[in-house]
Amino acid sequence: MASEKERATPSRKSKASKSKDSILKQKSPAEFFSENKNIAGFDNPGKSLYTTVRELVENALDSAESIAKLPVIEVTIEEISKSKFNSMIGLLDRERLDEELYGDYETEKAREKRLAKEAREQEKQAKAAAAGKKVKDSNAVKLGKGRGEALFYKVTCKDNGRGMPNDDIPNMLGRVLSGTKYGLKQTRGKFGLGAKMALIWSKMSTGLPIDIWSATRGQSFISYCRLDINIHKNVPNVHIHEKRSNEEGWHGAEIQVTIEGNWTTYRSKIINYMRQMAVITPYAQFLFRFVAATPDKNISIRFARRTNVMPPAPAETKYHPSAVDLLLIKRLIAETLKQNLLQFLQHEFTSISKFYAERLIGEMGPEFTPKMPVKSLTAQQLVRIHQLFRQAKFGEPTGECLSPAGEYNLRLGIMKELHPDMVATYQGSVQVFEGHPFLVEAGLSLGGRDVKPGLNIFRFANRIPLLFEQGGDVVTRTATKRINWNSYKINQVQDKIGVFVSIVSTKIPFKGTGKEYIGDDIKEIASAVKSAIQQCCIQLKSKIVRQQQAHDRQQRKRNLSKYIPDVSRAIYGVLMEMADGQKSKKVKYDDDADDLLKKVALHQITESTFIQKLGQHVEQVDAEMALEYATQSGMVDTAREPIYLRTLESDYKFALELHNPVCVMKLFSDF
Amino acid sequence: MADKRKRATAENDSDEDDNGEQPMEAPRKQAQAALAFRKRLKPDNAILATVRKIADSAKSYKPQTQSLADLNLPNACKEVVDLSCASVMAEIEKTIINIARSILGGNGFGYSVPSRSSANQLYVQELDRIVLKDKASFRPFANMASVRKTTITTRILQLVHQLCKKQIHVTKRDLFYTDVKLFQEQGQSDSVLDDVSCMLGCTRSSLNVVASEKGVVVGRLVFVEDGDRIDCTKMGVGGKAIPPNIDKVKDMESDALFILLVEKDAAFMRLAEDRFYNRFPCVIITAKGQPDVATRLFLKKMKTDLKLPVLGLVDSDPYGLKILSVYMSGSKNMSYDSSNLTTPDIKWLGVRPSDLNKYKIPEQCRLPMTDQDIKTGKDLLEEDFIKKDPNWHKELEVMVKTKEKAEIQALSSFGFQYLSEVYLPMKLQERDWI
Repeated sequence: MASEKERATPSRKSKASKSKDSILKQKSPAEFFSENKNIAGFDNPGKSLYTTVRELVENALDSAESIAKLPVIEVTIEEISKSKFNSMIGLLDRERLDEELYGDYETEKAREKRLAKEAREQEKQAKAAAAGKKVKDSNAVKLGKGRGEALFYKVTCKDNGRGMPNDDIPNMLGRVLSGTKYGLKQTRGKFGLGAKMALIWSKMSTGLPIDIWSATRGQSFISYCRLDINIHKNVPNVHIHEKRSNEEGWHGAEIQVTIEGNWTTYRSKIINYMRQMAVITPYAQFLFRFVAATPDKNISIRFARRTNVMPPAPAETKYHPSAVDLLLIKRLIAETLKQNLLQFLQHEFTSISKFYAERLIGEMGPEFTPKMPVKSLTAQQLVRIHQLFRQAKFGEPTGECLSPAGEYNLRLGIMKELHPDMVATYQGSVQVFEGHPFLVEAGLSLGGRDVKPGLNIFRFANRIPLLFEQGGDVVTRTATKRINWNSYKINQVQDKIGVFVSIVSTKIPFKGTGKEYIGDDIKEIASAVKSAIQQCCIQLKSKIVRQQQAHDRQQRKRNLSKYIPDVSRAIYGVLMEMADGQKSKKVKYDDDADDLLKKVALHQITESTFIQKLGQHVEQVDAEMALEYATQSGMVDTAREPIYLRTLESDYKFALELHNPVCVMKLFSDF
Repeated sequence: MADKRKRATAENDSDEDDNGEQPMEAPRKQAQAALAFRKRLKPDNAILATVRKIADSAKSYKPQTQSLADLNLPNACKEVVDLSCASVMAEIEKTIINIARSILGGNGFGYSVPSRSSANQLYVQELDRIVLKDKASFRPFANMASVRKTTITTRILQLVHQLCKKQIHVTKRDLFYTDVKLFQEQGQSDSVLDDVSCMLGCTRSSLNVVASEKGVVVGRLVFVEDGDRIDCTKMGVGGKAIPPNIDKVKDMESDALFILLVEKDAAFMRLAEDRFYNRFPCVIITAKGQPDVATRLFLKKMKTDLKLPVLGLVDSDPYGLKILSVYMSGSKNMSYDSSNLTTPDIKWLGVRPSDLNKYKIPEQCRLPMTDQDIKTGKDLLEEDFIKKDPNWHKELEVMVKTKEKAEIQALSSFGFQYLSEVYLPMKLQERDWI
C-alpha cells in the first residue's frame, strides 16, 4: 500500500549507515496502519478502546442485518489488573527493589510537602466540624498513576449474525485490507479495517492473540480460532483452529480481544456511543457490560428493542458518471464483462440509457464508435471520456440504493432513549452532491431524561453515531447558526433541545483524518440539513403553541387571583377616604353612592368583601373560558401520537375478539 | 451692549488672522468664506429693525380660537381639559363607586380606556395639530391580557385621589416608588398615568403628577413662580430650569423680540454664555432633545401671553424636524392633550438642509445619513404637518436627496462662536426662516 524510500541526509548520518539507508523497503498494509494508527482512530489507549468497541459493534450490526435478523449484541469490557495481566502472559510479578528507579517514587521533599498539605486539610476540616458544618469524608490525596502504568481490558462482542465460514476466518480477520464490504453502497464501516485494526492494536499493546467463535446458520459446529497477525507479512498467524459442538444451534460471531485502553477517560464516550447507537437502531438489542477490577464499579446497561421493523439492507449500486475519476474508469474497464463501448456505458453506470450512451459516443468524436471494444481504448481516449463525463449533464442518481433508518425508527429510538416531552421527525427526499445520492433525516425532541438545557446535537452518518469533532460539523453549525429557534417558540438556551440528524449516502464526505465529522462546505448537504431541521421545528411549533395555551389556561386563575388583593385594597382605600370625607365635610354624593359609603363606614363592606366577590368572579370567568377552550380544542386537536404496542409471544390463547372501527381487541383466555 | 459687541468682533478678527497664517489651503478657504459672511453683516441696529417688524406683526397675531367643537369633524374626537383638584377627585370617586358596585353585583369590573395607538390619531389641518379619535378599548379585570393594566389603573386612581385631596404634586418617579412591587418598572406606571388622564378627561398636570425638570430657559423674561420673581437674564450661563408645575407660573413680562427654540443643550449653552439675548433681545429655551410636557406648556404659555414669534434652531436631520413637529402639532402619545401642549406657527430658522451649501459648511462636518435616517426622512415626507407647508417639504426633500445631515455644532468648524456671532445675526438680517 505505502512504500517509502528513506533518504539519509549526508550531513547528519555516518558513512556506515549510508549504505543501509539506500535499501528500498517495502511495507505491508498492516505495517502501514500500525505506524499510522491515528488514521483509523487509535490515537491513544482511551480512543483505541472506544474505536475497538465501535468497530466490533458495527461489524456485528452489519452481520445481523445482512441476513435480515433482528440484531442482538452483547458487549463486555473487562478490566484486567496488572498482576492478572502478567499471569495471563506468564510473567511473574516482581517486587520493586530499587524504589528510586521508578517514576512515581516520592522524594523526601515531596513527601514533606504532601504531609504538610494533608495536615492543613485536616485542620480545616476540624474547624468546619467544630462549626457544626457537615463535611465530606476527607478524600486522601490521590496518588497519580505512575508513568507506564498501563491499563488492560478484554473486549468481547457477541452477535447473532451471519457468522464466518470456518475456513475463511483466518483471512477475514488476520489480513488487513481484505474484506467483503468493498463496492459502491451505503456501508457502516469507514475503512474496511474493522476488527483487524483492533487485532493490530492488541498485538502492539499486549501481544495477546484474539479469540473467535463463529457459526453460520444451520452449521452443526462452532469454529473456534485463536490467532494473531504477522504485521510485516500481513498474514494471519493461527494458534488454534478447531471445530466445537454447537448444541444450541447458535449462529453469529463472538470476538474477544485484549488491548491496552483507558476506561476512566473514555467511559462517557463509550456509553454515549452505545446510547446513540440504540437511538438510531431501535430494532436492535444491546447489552453493554463493564466488569471492573472491583465489583462496585461494574456497569450493566441494557438497551431494549422497541420495534421489529428493520430498514432494508442497502443495495449495491453503480457509479454515476459525474462521480468517477480517470483511475476509476480504468478500473471499471478492466473489471467489466461488457464487450463494446455502448454496452459498457449503458450497463456500468447509472443514469445512462442506451439512447443517451449513443448520444455521448457521437459527441466524443469520430474515432469513437458504439461497437468498438471497450478494452482497446487508449489513454487519450479515456481522458476524452472523462472530460465528457465532467461536462455533460446526466439524470440524477436515484436513492433506491440508500437505506435510511426511517422516520418511524428514528422517532422510536429518540423516545425510548431520551423520553422527551415532544418529538418530531422528518425524512427529506433523496438529493445529490457530486453524483452521490444522499438523504437527510432529522428528529427534534424537547425535554426528556438526562438532557442538558440548550442544544444537544446527535449526529449520524450512514447510521453510525459521530461523537468527536462536533464543532466543525455541518449539523452543529446549521443548528447553532442558521436556525432561528425563537421563531418556533423554542428557547435555545433554556429548553432541553435534542437535535438528531442522520445522513446516509453512498459516499459520506468526511473531513479530517479521523473521519469524525462532515464538512460544512457542501451546500447541497447544508441546505438539506437545514430544511430537515426546520420541518421538524414547524411540526413542534404547533404542539408548543397548543401546550402553551393549555399551560396558560392552568395559570389563568392563579395569575388573575394574584391581583385581587391589590385591586381590593385600592378600591377600599378610596371608599374609606370618601366615607371619612362624607362624615366630616358633608360632601354630597348621589343616593346610590351614599348608600354604599354608609355601609363602608359601618364596616358592612370591607376589603375582604371585594376580595371575596372578585374571587368568585374570576372563578366563574375561568370556568367559562375552560369550557370554551374545551369545545374549541376538541375540534382542532390533531396531535394524535402513534403508539407502539409490544408484540406478544405467540403462545397466548385468546378467547374473545372485541371489534370496533379503530381496532380489534383480543382477550386472553387463561387469565 | 454695543461695546460688548465691538469687543467680541475685535477678538474674532484676531482669531481669523491666526487662521490666515496657517499654510493649509482648505482652512484658509473656509475662513475666507466665513469672513465673507461676516462682512455682509449689517450693523446690529439695522438687523434689529427687521426683527422688530416681524415681532410687531406677531403682536397682532390672534391666537387660535377655533376649538374642536367648532370644526364639526366627521369623527368624534377626544380632548381633555384642565380640571381643578376637586373635579378630578369627583371624577375618580364616580369611577370607583361604579366599579365597586359592579364588583359587589358579582360582575367583576373593567375600564373603558381611549386607545392611544397611532391608528386612533388624526391630524387636523385647521388646528395644525394631532388629535385623538374616540376609539376606546375595554379592559376587563378577568382577562389575562389586561389584568395587570387594570390593577395598576386602580392603584393609580387611588394614589391620584390622595394627591388631589392633599393638594400636593409629585413626580412620575415618586408615583412609581409608592408601589414598586406592583408597577415593576416606571414605564408601566407612566403609561397608565396617561391612560388615566385620558379616561378622566383631564390633563396630566391636573392629576398633580409632573415630570422631573428637563427644560431650561434664559433671556429677556421675567415671571413669578409660586410668589418668587424670577429674572431670566440673571440666571448665569446655566439658565433657569423650567418648573414642572406650570400652574405656579404667573405674570410673564418680556421686552424680547422673539423666542429662540434650541434643540440642544450645547447650542443653548453657547448662546447663553455669549449673552446672545443681550445683543438681540430674545428668550432662549431648550428641552435638551425631545421636549417634555413642562417645556411644551411653558412655550405655549409664553407664546400666548407674550405674543412673540418663535424661531426654531434644530439639527439638520429628520430627528430635528421631528422635535419641531412635537412642539407644533404634538406627540402621538399625548395627542389627547394636544390643545394645551402645542404651539403652532414655529418658524424653522435653521439648520436647514439648504443652509449646508449656502453657508459653505465644510464637507468634514457633514455626516452621511444612515439607512434608518433616510427611512425616517422618507416617512416624514408623508406626514401631514410637513406636507401642508411646501417650503418645509422642499427642504426635507433636499435632505433625503443629498443624504447628508449636520448638527448645529457643525457651525463650530468656523470657530466656536460662529453660531452666535455670524450665523444667527445673518439669518435674522436676511429674515431667512420658513
